[in-house]
Amino acid sequence: MPTPPSPSNSDASSLAEILAAVEQGESIVHGSPDRQQIFRIFHRTVYTYGEKARRSTNEVRLTPKENPWQKVTFFLLTIRPATHVKQFRDLHGNNVHHFEITENHSRLVIEAQSIVRKTCKVDFEAFPYGSPMDALRECRRIDHCHEFLEPSHFIEVTPDIWRAAVDARGLSEDVFQTAYNIMTFVYKRFGYVPGATHVGTSAMEAFKAKSGVCQDFAHVMIAMCRALGIPARYVSGYLFDPAHDDLRGTQASHAWVEIFVLGRGGWFGLDPTNNKVVDEHYVSVATGRDYNDVSPARGTFFGGGAHRTLDVTVSVDRAE
Amino acid sequence: MLFDSYKTDGFFDEMFGNGGGDAPRDHYGQIWDRFSVMNDEELQGKKGALDRSFLVNGITFTVYSDNAGTERIFPFDPIPRIIPPSEWETVETGLIQRITALNLFLYDVYHEAKIVKDGIVPMDIIESAEHYRPEFKGLNLPNDVYIHICGTDLVRDDKGDYLVLEDNGRCPSGVSYVLENRAAMKRTFPRLYGNMNVRPVDDYPLQLLQTMRYVAPHGKTDPVCVVLTPGVYNSAYFEHTFLARQMGIELVEGRDLVAVDGHVYMRTTKGLVHVDVIYRRLDDDFLDPTVFRKDSMLGVPGIVEAYRRGNVALCNAIGAGVADDKVTYAYVPDMIRYYLDQDPILNNVPTYLAWREEDRKYILENMESLVVKAANESGGYGMIIGPKATKEEIATFRERVKATPRNYIAQPVVSLSRHPTVCENGKAEGRHVDLRPFVLYGDRVRVLPGGLTRVALRKGSLVVNSSQGGGSKDTWVLRSSLGES
Amino acid sequence: MLSRVADSLYWMSRYIERAGNIARLVEVNMEVLLDLSLEQQGSRESYWYPLLDATALTEKYQALEDESKRPEVPEFLTLSLENPDSIRSCIAQARENARMVRDQISDEMWLELNSLHLFLSSPAAAALWHRDPEDFCTQIIRFSLLFQGITDATIPHDEGWQFIRTGRFLERADKTTRILDIPHRLQSGRGPLPWATVLSSCSARAAYRQLYGGEVTERLATNLLIFSDVFPRSVRFCLRMVDEALHAISGTPRGQYSIEAERLTGSALASLDFAGPDEVEMMGLPAYADQLQTKFNDIGQQVFATYVLLPSEVALQITEQQRLVYAYTSQSQQQ
Repeated sequence: MPTPPSPSNSDASSLAEILAAVEQGESIVHGSPDRQQIFRIFHRTVYTYGEKARRSTNEVRLTPKENPWQKVTFFLLTIRPATHVKQFRDLHGNNVHHFEITENHSRLVIEAQSIVRKTCKVDFEAFPYGSPMDALRECRRIDHCHEFLEPSHFIEVTPDIWRAAVDARGLSEDVFQTAYNIMTFVYKRFGYVPGATHVGTSAMEAFKAKSGVCQDFAHVMIAMCRALGIPARYVSGYLFDPAHDDLRGTQASHAWVEIFVLGRGGWFGLDPTNNKVVDEHYVSVATGRDYNDVSPARGTFFGGGAHRTLDVTVSVDRAE
Repeated sequence: MLFDSYKTDGFFDEMFGNGGGDAPRDHYGQIWDRFSVMNDEELQGKKGALDRSFLVNGITFTVYSDNAGTERIFPFDPIPRIIPPSEWETVETGLIQRITALNLFLYDVYHEAKIVKDGIVPMDIIESAEHYRPEFKGLNLPNDVYIHICGTDLVRDDKGDYLVLEDNGRCPSGVSYVLENRAAMKRTFPRLYGNMNVRPVDDYPLQLLQTMRYVAPHGKTDPVCVVLTPGVYNSAYFEHTFLARQMGIELVEGRDLVAVDGHVYMRTTKGLVHVDVIYRRLDDDFLDPTVFRKDSMLGVPGIVEAYRRGNVALCNAIGAGVADDKVTYAYVPDMIRYYLDQDPILNNVPTYLAWREEDRKYILENMESLVVKAANESGGYGMIIGPKATKEEIATFRERVKATPRNYIAQPVVSLSRHPTVCENGKAEGRHVDLRPFVLYGDRVRVLPGGLTRVALRKGSLVVNSSQGGGSKDTWVLRSSLGES
Repeated sequence: MLSRVADSLYWMSRYIERAGNIARLVEVNMEVLLDLSLEQQGSRESYWYPLLDATALTEKYQALEDESKRPEVPEFLTLSLENPDSIRSCIAQARENARMVRDQISDEMWLELNSLHLFLSSPAAAALWHRDPEDFCTQIIRFSLLFQGITDATIPHDEGWQFIRTGRFLERADKTTRILDIPHRLQSGRGPLPWATVLSSCSARAAYRQLYGGEVTERLATNLLIFSDVFPRSVRFCLRMVDEALHAISGTPRGQYSIEAERLTGSALASLDFAGPDEVEMMGLPAYADQLQTKFNDIGQQVFATYVLLPSEVALQITEQQRLVYAYTSQSQQQ
């Protein structure tokens, strides 16, 4: 993994400059438009019930997000058994599909397919250095940052996590550099062990276990960032592995972290599971404070019996 | 030269009209370069070579109204139709959206009929559809697929927008011409083809086979799949043979199959072999003389019972025709909104239903300017084009519409786009075209890049059907340069 | 393989062999007619009737209602569509069978057969027939040989090919006996019988010369065309091929039998093994040929019964309705 170049002091901006940039809007980042990709994504979730289920109410978050670096040219959500589907946006701007299946059914299939045009937000020639750690307190005043500093359903900052964050920061005075250090810390100190945790494991539990899957890696990194006052949010999505590098998280949906870099373009993605700065191969679907805000499918139902199985298929391919 | 006196005559022309002018569109640049310099001799040579290769290869179809066994080649025009990647993306995603909605609708219609309960589609419409099979309500099909293979007819209007003319969800034919046209074009224009970065079509048979395997009963992983043909006198027999051969599976006729105790077998020289999935090129009516038409010699007695018991899968499913009824068609945009909560990517041609009183009034008063179609006839039969019909024909259709309003719909005359087509005099003239892409609904939904472009060869004609003076063109969908990285 | 496919391959092959042999028959007859004296030429039409007899077509010919529109016999045998066994009809039926199994045969086979069919349906065929009937026959014979060569060289020698072989050799055995039969049917005490012509019609001139020298006798010609173990158009050779093919299909070792057709073939072959020209002379060639033809028919029917009509498993469960369908389809193939 390449070590990013350290920021030279001359890059550091004054607080005033940064606040001015915030005023002008954060998202003016040109990134690397030449690194364009088109992906076809297919995501099928099949629930099979041992006994008939009924009166099931569901919410799914499977539509890739729209932003200047990610255009969704096609999206289709298919629910079987066929039923009426309605969509809306949640508080975090994620697209949510809602549906009910009242009749008895022994299988529920949720299929999402999309075509997404991607470019890369971050410029790999020039990472968004230059936002000093000192300026972080300003973030508390920014509405859309505030909630990503507070504790959330799965994430609380404990003294142990705080100590680890301080260790990981080292001597860094730069926000992006610090977050990068935390990512590497998590990547190196934690074991990628599918099955070691479950969908309800909190950041604290994962931190103690020192192992988990992408969800846990992301939770721990978010907790560490928040411990140092860096706004950090949870992203669910997909990862395309261009070189068949055995990247983690390409078999199913993936999760990573976005941190807010004040005055340098806002939210940037870091993937602690693979120790990578998020590039055009990452397709984000939903963002939130933690997994609880973005779970791809959740719902309630009656019946269904004790034996329930879940089968997930994800494929991300370059389109022709 | 070929395009010397070419006129677009105010129609939307596929090839000419770049930026509103007369120049060839950008994606036709290489076609222009190649064809405009061709002299008569070379052109006739190429055309002759193409025709001969079709005839000698036996790529023919049989005409129904003629004596049995009259074979013709499907006339072929050498100038290919070009579809640029961005345009194709609209067509492709629109078709995926549409077939998905149709399959959800079919599942719903044969189960809870929520779309009826919620007041979106009237029950009368479904119950009166000729191909509705209420006796199959509640039957669960492997992976809930009803239409596995769909051939949707698209046209382009005077602005160049693609519109859906009809969905063929029973036994759409023509895909073999797509593959054979392509093979012939590659032989005849190898360099042009090579330079244009065209998306290939040859893996269709393999994908069709995968589509069939996906719906194998009981999740069988190595199912026996067959193509069921009505026989050698069917107009599309060549296609049935072609597909079976390309897929490497047996081409069977009804008499090759036997249903015993709810299972279907084929009769082989080594005894009976169990059959799991049948791509049937036979309408519901002829499938099983014990259930449907008693006089059918083409079907297999007992096959429907095996299907009911889930021991054999049929592609497409029995009763899928309710979705390609021309009245149901009018409700497809509503289905897309209901099941998918999206707007249709491809629009319908505006449609009046004689079944609705106010529409019927409109149809009867404006028949001279409308296209009136019987709801359940395919192949261009049972329709009139108002502006071209005689007074008598209009009078007859008026009576028919009054007598069985459920059976008729009307649409404004869409001025189909035109495409330069080589005519008898060796010059290119604009002829109306449509497009029939083929969609496979299996593990994934796949759209064959391109499809069959049909040409109404008679000057001014809007009828593209092979049985009524239509021809075809190869359809080239270009690769986006972006996907090349 | 599908029973129907086996059936179609078998009939495709039979019809092509039949077309070739009819051409051979017509050729012999024409040669014979050339040698007739002028006064006999006056009634040349009557010299064709024996050929109708030999091919069991007399009834069909006479059944043609309108005598004035009835084609002449040679035309009836070659280009007439009224005759289901004319060369043109044979090729059309061979093609129809091939069309039904288009996915089982090679493109080369199809192209060759389809081109001949298109030619025979075109005015050019009639023109050639009227201008140069001999050339017409030669072309048909050449086609059937070519087609068989293409067949052997372009498709796998598997089950389907064995059915093709069964059809080819059964038909050839049958027609060889009919060609042999002609001189006797033509005979009315006028001049020597045209055995040399018969031999060349069977492409057997060279083989005969090598074996027996220049002089052609009935006894030796019969010996070659019925009993030779090495000449590929002799009855015995053909039956051996049928026997081989049937055993290859069923997987039963040669010398044993598992189905009726194998038993009949074996028995016919055995009787040829222990017979010779003396037996033929004793019975008379026409009668001898007749009893062979009956055996060939029986073998053909048994092949059909075993592999096409009623595989044993279905026999028990088949419904009456299906029986009707099968009876209908089998009729359309049997002549």
